[in-house]
Amino acid sequence: MAVMQRESSAGYITRAPRSSGLADVLEILLDRGLVIDAYVRVSLVGIELLTVDLRVVIASVDTYLRFAEAVNRLDLRAVDDSKSVPDLVQKGGEEIAETKTKGAVEGGMDAIREKIGLGGRGGDDEDDEESSGSRSRGGSNDR
Amino acid sequence: MSRLYLYGITRPRKVAKRLADQGIFLVENDGRAAIVSELDEGPVEATRRNLLAHADVVEQLHEAGVVLPARFGYQLESREEALEMLALPEIEQLLERHEKTCELTLKGTYEESVLAEVGAGLQPLRDAYRASPSVEVGIALGEAVGEGLAERRARDASHVLAGLGSLVLDVVRSEPAGELAAFDLALLVERDGVEPIEAKVEELSARLSPPLHFKLVGPLPPYSFVRLATPAVA
Repeated sequence: MAVMQRESSAGYITRAPRSSGLADVLEILLDRGLVIDAYVRVSLVGIELLTVDLRVVIASVDTYLRFAEAVNRLDLRAVDDSKSVPDLVQKGGEEIAETKTKGAVEGGMDAIREKIGLGGRGGDDEDDEESSGSRSRGGSNDR
Repeated sequence: MSRLYLYGITRPRKVAKRLADQGIFLVENDGRAAIVSELDEGPVEATRRNLLAHADVVEQLHEAGVVLPARFGYQLESREEALEMLALPEIEQLLERHEKTCELTLKGTYEESVLAEVGAGLQPLRDAYRASPSVEVGIALGEAVGEGLAERRARDASHVLAGLGSLVLDVVRSEPAGELAAFDLALLVERDGVEPIEAKVEELSARLSPPLHFKLVGPLPPYSFVRLATPAVA
């Protein structure tokens, strides 16, 4: 990922000609795609493990506190930076700025990976079982 | 009589050896063909392997011609059921509509620095939080940041769609997944519209990056654009 971060606009675009992983195909295959009511036989197991936590509810207390922390941290960092600017200018402030951006982006990508819930995090287990039940019921309604 | 797993629908043609070796074959009916493989009893497991295999089959066939991708897990009771399905006029209409189209997915994600931009106008709350980082103040600040971010998302998504303009034949917008996700768009474009879209995304990135990062995937089969307008049979 870090390789992508360049000043040019192209550095901010990730291009994949085909679905390159589970994250790309997951929603598209489960939510989209041709279904003809009269013939529907969508019978699945195992979906819940993959989709749980995929849709992050933005309006959660956890999120708000993370946002507050982040704003505070970025804010403090800005204060620190401005203090040290005279030093940095001579040693090439650009380099430092670039490193910092990279860190932020990588953090973002990690957060997204985490959100997609590909890793089996212990805390999700309960949810898995709950949605397992509702998912099978939804499946039979489709018929 | 064996059940069939349905990957999608296409026009009759030869199936590449690599797919045929995996047990993929076509059931054909009057210029339309179901892409299937034989299936054992029981539900299909939504494993990583099965999901990627489904995507691989429809995407590979789509490279050489129209494919209407089926939803993952779609099963047919028999060959006869496949033939009946292929005879539906809606199937022919969809095949004609998508003869030269493809889908691109375009997702936007923000760098964390967007939070500083969004929070720039929230000085009193930020000062309050720094003075006393309590849960109450934190929630108030975070909520305000969340609202600002939602506005930013809506604005950027509109910019992006406006920027892509008439190259986009149809669009399906999903709720973006992730705290720093900006937008999640499925775009229906002509196959020869892919390169122009790439150029447009470059232009948009020049305006919106950073903090916005783009991920463009495709050309894919039109996963998001094969809903039947009306159910074929109630």
